[in-house]
Amino acid sequence: MLRILLINDTPKKVGRLKAALTEAGFEVIDESGLIIDLPARVQAVRPDVILIDTESPGRDVLEQVVLVTRDLPRPIVMFTDEHDPGVMRQAIKSGVSAYIVEGIHAQRLQPILDVAMARFESDQDLRAQLHARDQQLAERKRIETAKGLLMKMKQCNEEEAYTLMRRQAMSRQQKLIQVAEQIIAMSELLG
Amino acid sequence: MNDSLTPSLAWVNGSDAPELASVDLGFMALTDSASLIVAATQGFAQPYGLHINLHRQSSWANLRDKLVSGELHAAHSLYGLVYAVQLGLAGPAKHMAVLMGLNQNGQSINLSRALQYAGVTTPDALDRRTHQSDSKLTFAQTFPTGNHALWLYYWLASQGIHPLRDVDSVVVPPPQMVEHLQAGRIDGFCVGEPWGASAVQQNLGFTLATSQAIWPDHPEKVLACSAEFAEQYPNTARALVMAVLEASRFIEESADNRRSTAQLLSAAEYVNAPVGAIESRLLGEYDDGLGNRWHDHHAIRFHGDGQVNMPWLSDGMWFMTQFRRWGLLREDPDYLGVARSVQQLGLYREAAEALGIAVPPSPMRSSQLIDGKIWDGSDPARYARSFKLHALSDATLVHADR
Repeated sequence: MLRILLINDTPKKVGRLKAALTEAGFEVIDESGLIIDLPARVQAVRPDVILIDTESPGRDVLEQVVLVTRDLPRPIVMFTDEHDPGVMRQAIKSGVSAYIVEGIHAQRLQPILDVAMARFESDQDLRAQLHARDQQLAERKRIETAKGLLMKMKQCNEEEAYTLMRRQAMSRQQKLIQVAEQIIAMSELLG
Repeated sequence: MNDSLTPSLAWVNGSDAPELASVDLGFMALTDSASLIVAATQGFAQPYGLHINLHRQSSWANLRDKLVSGELHAAHSLYGLVYAVQLGLAGPAKHMAVLMGLNQNGQSINLSRALQYAGVTTPDALDRRTHQSDSKLTFAQTFPTGNHALWLYYWLASQGIHPLRDVDSVVVPPPQMVEHLQAGRIDGFCVGEPWGASAVQQNLGFTLATSQAIWPDHPEKVLACSAEFAEQYPNTARALVMAVLEASRFIEESADNRRSTAQLLSAAEYVNAPVGAIESRLLGEYDDGLGNRWHDHHAIRFHGDGQVNMPWLSDGMWFMTQFRRWGLLREDPDYLGVARSVQQLGLYREAAEALGIAVPPSPMRSSQLIDGKIWDGSDPARYARSFKLHALSDATLVHADR
């Protein structure tokens, strides 16, 4: 069963939504407290989907949502009674997985949540790929730095420096980046 | 085949950047996974903006399933496993791709100390033991359609022992071979190093035959992926091949590099075996456990100026001829057509040429095997039927000419 964290600070709307979700067979955890506790609540409740209203919290919640997504990724579904393309675009840009416009009916929820989950998963893949690319670049820079230091220390060329670093890494069952970090640290120590 | 000669220029322009920032690569705990482990840990993929995540697998079947499902993008694979999936021999068929060869040689057939004490230390003695005793010996190999089954079958048949009738065969994942030998559950096994050397060093068995004695410079492990992956992510596949090619070349650059490779491999997260068991045969130093020591001129090799890495069509076809010989294929496949679709010659050529590694002009090579037969890929259907010992399952046999 999907566990949904329902967030709203407008009690009237939550009442209607919660009934619809429960009727559709979801486990609904109602969250009507202060929105600033959201990251902590998400961590405690571990919902499969977060459902929030765009309307009343406005921009501040969107910022909060981005934070939540980064620290503890969950698909986020937004709902609103007003069709505002600007707000919708902003929300999706902030990492929201799906957007529900106007009234929610129980039978419509499942497909929307399915879409949100699927889209969330592909977003996650993309994010992991981007993260790997960033890390790759950072590691490459560190290795380049270490290689330069070693070339100076050992008066050798680039290829010889790489071979020395790799041989050292392999003999110690380490990765090249680990030996690069050791060379940089040693060089800083010796000034 | 793609004869494009300009991939290096495209690299400079940056238009051939890998589509993926990281690839999930499977491997088994074997010495012949070396080039993948060195490539992944020693920064060989970094210049292409590619990160390699290594995933050790507990069995070939597990590795196969993950490769087919896409959970692994590419993997250290048995030639026989790749072609069995391609042909649907042990489950649903899936189009597969051999990106490059990873190594030649370096497998061995080993027998238990119990057999040694019973005087079974030569092929002749083994022949007598299998034909004159009521109890069948049990040999382990690593995968029903895998290379080790085929090396074991080929060697036994070359000694006049029918591998499917005269002995029993069981399947055991490589790292568990020695343990099963020790427990007396098997009488011998065919496996990749370091597990043969490990049995010898622990005084639990001896090496009766090396795989290179069956076929000097035989094809062994390959870097494989699904055809879908190679088509969908050609730049990623090429970058991966280039990184592994450079790592292969690096390992063979000096004895020091080979030694440090052995050190790296012995780590718990890779092969997880004592460095002593890995290093000697990686350097070509053999001890058969019967008092014979030699330097092997066809020991495991990873590069050989590209000879090892070329995805030869004749190598791929050979495995299909043996499937046919032993009745795993009930009729002749389109040997050449299947090999052409699996062996990624065009992609390999681009990668090798960009690194200045020579690509042989012909996709076929010629070898003489232990039984004196020549295999050059020219007439696979006839070759498959030419063996005296076989399990061909159809009635249209031509005469065997062994």
